[in-house]
Amino acid sequence: MKLSISICGLASAASLVTASAMAADVDFKRLLNADNDPDNWLSYHRTYKSWHYSPLAEINTGNVGKLKEAWSHVASRSVRGLQSYPLVADGILYYSGSYNQVWALDGATGEVLWQYKQKLNEDLVAKQTHSPYNRGIALGYGNVYMGTLDGKLVAIDMKTGKLKWETKLVDSEKLTVGFTGAPLLVKDKVIIGAQGGEWPSRGPIFGVDANTGKQVWRFFTVAGEEGNGDAKNTWGGDSWKTGGGGGWMPGGYDPDTNTVWWGTANPAPLYDWSGADYKTKGARPGDNLYTTSVILLDPDTGKLKGHHQEIPHDAWDFDSATGEFIMIDRGGKKYVVHPSKSGFVWVYDQAGKVQNVWRLIKNINFVKDIDPKTGELVGRRDLTEGKHTDLCPFIAGGMSWNMGSYNPKTGLLYKVGNEWCMDLVVEKTTPVLEPMAQLNIGANFNITHPKGEKAHGHVSARDPITGAKKWEIVFPEPPLASLLSTGGNLLFVPDARGWLRAYDATTGKELWSHNNGQGHNGGIISYRAKGKQYVAVMTGWGGLAGDDYATFFGGTFAQMPKDSGIIKVFALQ
Amino acid sequence: MTVRYAVLAVGAAVASVALAQPPGGTPGPMQSNMGASQTESPKAAAAPSSSGDAIDVNKLFATSCGWCHSKGGREAGKGPQLMGTPLTDGEIAYRIRKGKTGQMPAFEGSLTDEQIRAVVTYIRALKPQG
Repeated sequence: MKLSISICGLASAASLVTASAMAADVDFKRLLNADNDPDNWLSYHRTYKSWHYSPLAEINTGNVGKLKEAWSHVASRSVRGLQSYPLVADGILYYSGSYNQVWALDGATGEVLWQYKQKLNEDLVAKQTHSPYNRGIALGYGNVYMGTLDGKLVAIDMKTGKLKWETKLVDSEKLTVGFTGAPLLVKDKVIIGAQGGEWPSRGPIFGVDANTGKQVWRFFTVAGEEGNGDAKNTWGGDSWKTGGGGGWMPGGYDPDTNTVWWGTANPAPLYDWSGADYKTKGARPGDNLYTTSVILLDPDTGKLKGHHQEIPHDAWDFDSATGEFIMIDRGGKKYVVHPSKSGFVWVYDQAGKVQNVWRLIKNINFVKDIDPKTGELVGRRDLTEGKHTDLCPFIAGGMSWNMGSYNPKTGLLYKVGNEWCMDLVVEKTTPVLEPMAQLNIGANFNITHPKGEKAHGHVSARDPITGAKKWEIVFPEPPLASLLSTGGNLLFVPDARGWLRAYDATTGKELWSHNNGQGHNGGIISYRAKGKQYVAVMTGWGGLAGDDYATFFGGTFAQMPKDSGIIKVFALQ
Repeated sequence: MTVRYAVLAVGAAVASVALAQPPGGTPGPMQSNMGASQTESPKAAAAPSSSGDAIDVNKLFATSCGWCHSKGGREAGKGPQLMGTPLTDGEIAYRIRKGKTGQMPAFEGSLTDEQIRAVVTYIRALKPQG
């Protein structure tokens, strides 16, 4: 046993030296040109266009039937599964797991090069609802960057796995929230948003010096602050103190305008009893800027350049924090496409002006409509204290937080949609302002089937600007994982039951499937290592959307583990 | 054991309070010292205490528990159904304090003993709606 261990260690060291010798540094210039770097997946969204598309075509519609598992790696302490995105730079695959663990693996073999375990305040982690998962990392300047559950940004040496620096950004011991979303590297700044739609935190987004770890700027998504988007007048009284608004998923970056685009969460409490008079009554009278908004920031200073509040006074927990910022160039005009938890997809110009709004799902009744020209909500269903039935979509969203994929070859956006609803009883709760407060929901509720049909999910292929649907695949339960499309005209869909399927990206025809043994709730990428194309997907189940499946859908979900995480990697046989 | 664990999770919340029950020690997982009447209604639990404050346990539950325990704890959701739980009061209180890894946060530190007692009483009094 001792012998085999020492041999493993030698092999790892040898791989590390070889890979390191080949590696070029990941810097801003390289990230800007990631489109021309098909072998790698250097950031959460792969490129600043946020397409979640791999140009690689070695695996394609003609040979995907020969796809086999090449290697896998089991992540320890995988409570709530693997929800992160693997990243690949120069043949080395990096990924994060629960409790802020990070691994570096040989991308061709899965050989472990190093493992990093963040020293956490575990008493605090036990008190967090949205924990202990991590949803992604960033690479740059020789570092792996990760936000921690207890409010730090850390830089880990890409070559050795040793901690270089850590910076405390959020007083998590006081505010409960920390970081679970991936950071975004822009120029020399690491940008990261805190958790939070349910706590008295003001959802800051931070800009941190990528080399020193020093905090350079901070933007309060709840009410802004004097000199930078002060919006306290959109919160009645002291209601801004109830907080929310966390930018808990990574935003995007438009190099043309030097603008960071970031989505923000709902205000707290999630459900307000104000009714239609929400401007003057209820738990948090007013529009509650900048919650459930898309905000445009200067990456150098954190100054607010613009915003669009997708849902003024969000009374249904339909975050704008979910949803990538897909940069599309059509007919000489550039668009930014932003899917949201509400089930609507917003289309903006580069200045943040609404160009279109379209529906990805059928079952929406929290509004009658959204004006596609102005983005204004029409026929809001504002709630009052008491019982309400058949509110659609369900709180987990018409879309969840995982990513779709845009394929420039087909011109189609592939996205998961969720058809489900809820009944609820809104309570006139007491404002939560105190430190270390727990959730601030404001209602009791339960998931329901939409009228006249069973709850289900679908993956549709659509024009990203108009929403015109080309085809759709129906799933008995909403898949909750991210999607991948490739230059090989393939669309990969990891589903909730554990099946990973490949479809013809043009027609939607199923071409290949493999059962990974447990549900998917994280990222999927493709990359090339040692001259061969691979597809890597996260497995593992559990989380605030998937936790309803055992009771509501039953079947295999009743037995599915919630403490298991394996990264599975596939290649042609 | 598996069955027991499947029924354990509970939620709770925040509000300013005091309660009719005198504060007790911290029970262990298999202890019960809550002493709340199993027939006491949520409204009764919310009766004003000698300090003049009151816990409205319905609001308290909706603030932090209702996300996972559906229909106010009457049905399973993300967490188990609480109505009719076979757990002792002490076991419920322990779960509220300590949580359960990956399934329920620990409310120790954010809820007072009185608030936890109110939630236990609320759970004991749950009846089907309608």
